[in-house]
Amino acid sequence: MSVNGQSAPGPKEPTRAATPPAAKGTGTPAAGSGTDLAAGAAAGPAASQLPQVRRAVIVGGNRIPFARTGGAYTKSSNQDMLTAALDGLIARFGLQDERIGEVAAGAVLKHSRDFNLTREAVLGSALSAETPAYDLQQACATGLETVLGLANKIKLGQIDSAIAGGVDSASDAPIAVSEGLREVLLDLNRAKTLPQRLQVLSRLRPKDLTPDAPNTGEPRTGLSMGEHQALTTAQWKITREAQDELAFNSHRNLAAAYDAGFFDDLLTPYRGLTRDSNLRADTSLEKLATLKPVFGKSLGSAATMTAGNSTPLTDGASTVLLASEEWADAHDLPKLATVVDGEAAAVDFVHGKDGLLMAPAFAVPRLLARNGLSLEDIDFFEIHEAFAGTVLSTLAAWEDEEFGRTRLGLDGAFGSIDRTRLNVHGSSLAAGHPFAATGGRIVASLAKMLHAKDRVDGRPARGLISICAAGGQGVVAILEAH
Amino acid sequence: MSPSGPVILGEMPSLSKLYVNAAATAARRRVLGTHAGNGLPEARHEVRGVKAAVENLTAYQHLIGETASDVLPAGFIHALAFPLAMSVMNRDDFPLPLLGMIHLQNHVVQSAPLRFTQALDVRAWTENLRGHRSGTQLDVVTEVGCTGEDAVSWRGVSTYLAKGVFLPGLDKTTAASAAADFSAPDPTALWQLGVDTGRAYAAVSGDFNPIHLSVLSAKALGMRRSIAHGMYLASRALADVGAVKGEAFSWDVAFEAPVFLPARVALDISSVQDTAGAWQRSGYVAWNARSGRRHFSGSVAAL
Repeated sequence: MSVNGQSAPGPKEPTRAATPPAAKGTGTPAAGSGTDLAAGAAAGPAASQLPQVRRAVIVGGNRIPFARTGGAYTKSSNQDMLTAALDGLIARFGLQDERIGEVAAGAVLKHSRDFNLTREAVLGSALSAETPAYDLQQACATGLETVLGLANKIKLGQIDSAIAGGVDSASDAPIAVSEGLREVLLDLNRAKTLPQRLQVLSRLRPKDLTPDAPNTGEPRTGLSMGEHQALTTAQWKITREAQDELAFNSHRNLAAAYDAGFFDDLLTPYRGLTRDSNLRADTSLEKLATLKPVFGKSLGSAATMTAGNSTPLTDGASTVLLASEEWADAHDLPKLATVVDGEAAAVDFVHGKDGLLMAPAFAVPRLLARNGLSLEDIDFFEIHEAFAGTVLSTLAAWEDEEFGRTRLGLDGAFGSIDRTRLNVHGSSLAAGHPFAATGGRIVASLAKMLHAKDRVDGRPARGLISICAAGGQGVVAILEAH
Repeated sequence: MSPSGPVILGEMPSLSKLYVNAAATAARRRVLGTHAGNGLPEARHEVRGVKAAVENLTAYQHLIGETASDVLPAGFIHALAFPLAMSVMNRDDFPLPLLGMIHLQNHVVQSAPLRFTQALDVRAWTENLRGHRSGTQLDVVTEVGCTGEDAVSWRGVSTYLAKGVFLPGLDKTTAASAAADFSAPDPTALWQLGVDTGRAYAAVSGDFNPIHLSVLSAKALGMRRSIAHGMYLASRALADVGAVKGEAFSWDVAFEAPVFLPARVALDISSVQDTAGAWQRSGYVAWNARSGRRHFSGSVAAL
């Protein structure tokens, strides 16, 4: 097994070719030294044989504050929240009546009537009604995948502007009728005569009237995501203290970012909220240490995962404005960062070969190798905090000699990261995690951080995003300061 | 092989009639004090041209967690052929009481896939009557192949125990069970089995044995609560092993403690690869998530 063993590396992306894209006519500097490094590492087909692609830049983002489930957004639907986040983005960047190239967003917990959720949100917004839209769903990676897909369309010249996003409501979650009632209703619809209808109706039993609520269990294992992570947390011997410390840092960093005004141009108040309602600015390691474990209690190993070091169910929405450099310049809009590259991975978790949320542990080494980078070349790490144990298990795997050799096909451990570069403005443990909205939250925040950092050692500041997802999947991406 | 050739049945017998008849036979034997001798019947029963109903197949696949493909799951073939196997044990010359027999283990070799569109010939007989430390056990062998072809595509051997029945001439084996020192590993799956699990499987398998249906019907037969069908549990484990098993495989299960409903059953499934990385077998073990008591274990292996 090796990094490449999991899936063969694709053709080299020519974004990082030494030759600047011909389409660039706005006087921006050519690709920096970091991109040259990557081009030097390319071993696939020569870049010159591939069509030139242009850059996709992140102009900015907007989200609504995230609310704990059953809180401020209890009665707001996914469409309400996505439209609210979209309207804030439109107002911030003056996009009224603008025909955007394409809008893509999604929700993980989605009503079947919301099959065209994103298009409906566009129609309810101030954007031109001629803006096309599509829905995407990749569990918690939905938001990041919309960014990557739309950025690729911009790079290929198919569109000049795009809005990526995601939304989720755990409060306004869909509840399905039971299988028994559903089958009766469908058969009733197919029945043609009264006797047939009566015969179908006679099959109905009282228990069929009990609805099916969504649950967080993995379909193939019956274990909840928390129980899966508890197995992984125990496997990597992550301590309660380390998890509580990560949670504490998340709250402290997010509170500091709010206090410093970091979110002033990333967030639009909604339903009376101006900050994420899960944020506990006054939490302490002592308070976190008093919480009782909620996951892994029956698994034999010492239970370490609490409500404090696991993300709560949350409602919220986020959006990101992407564009070609020309489009941003023509609209006199900022260019915060470029979307350099992305990678998806999946693990065989069903029988426990790898932990459910460990796919990024494979995706990141592949992505960095393809770009000729190592962990030391990253200035900001945004590792989504599904659980504190998820982040720490991923870091532990990268620091593990045997994992590096046997699973990643390296000479030794993949490496360790400078913890002061990790989730520096807080992450999901503090902000909350409305599944599909997390990607947009992270991309917009990281783009702003990279823009502020600008350059490091003469190269553009560089950030890495890592998001794990249900089904044993993960999507990761590299952004660079523009 | 019976010297007189197989007993050909015109159609697959009705399980509910067999259960009623078995109860009647038990009552008659009790009243008359007769028994049917000490040997197994030599007769083989056979039904030709059996076809699976596709609605029933789909319902079975959905309940067990199999994809609704056109291939008959190995556990579905067991359920399809089960009435014929029962009919052999329901013969007047079968020496053991059919009701209350305990399914100890099951071994299936699926050597070629069978599809619902194919007509099947099913043969069943009993063999290998032998002692057990708490009664008498025997094997019921069932073979299934396509109608008109000699090849056996599916062969099942089910071992049953008639508890407390000791036939003359059979030694009691003294081997104790090895279940004592089981310690549960970390689970890879958790099944939440509701009280209606037995009824749901009865509906797709046709096996309306009262011990699986409800608390009342189970109590009538001396159980404290209804229990899950063993082949339901084993078939779910087979489905959980997944597509890696391919179309030809062997499948074993040994049942230990019954699963009283409702239940939370924890499972560990682990696979073994050969040096080239090709799948060889997946072992599974299931236990009570609360008490840690082992319910069943087995494996699926490449042929």
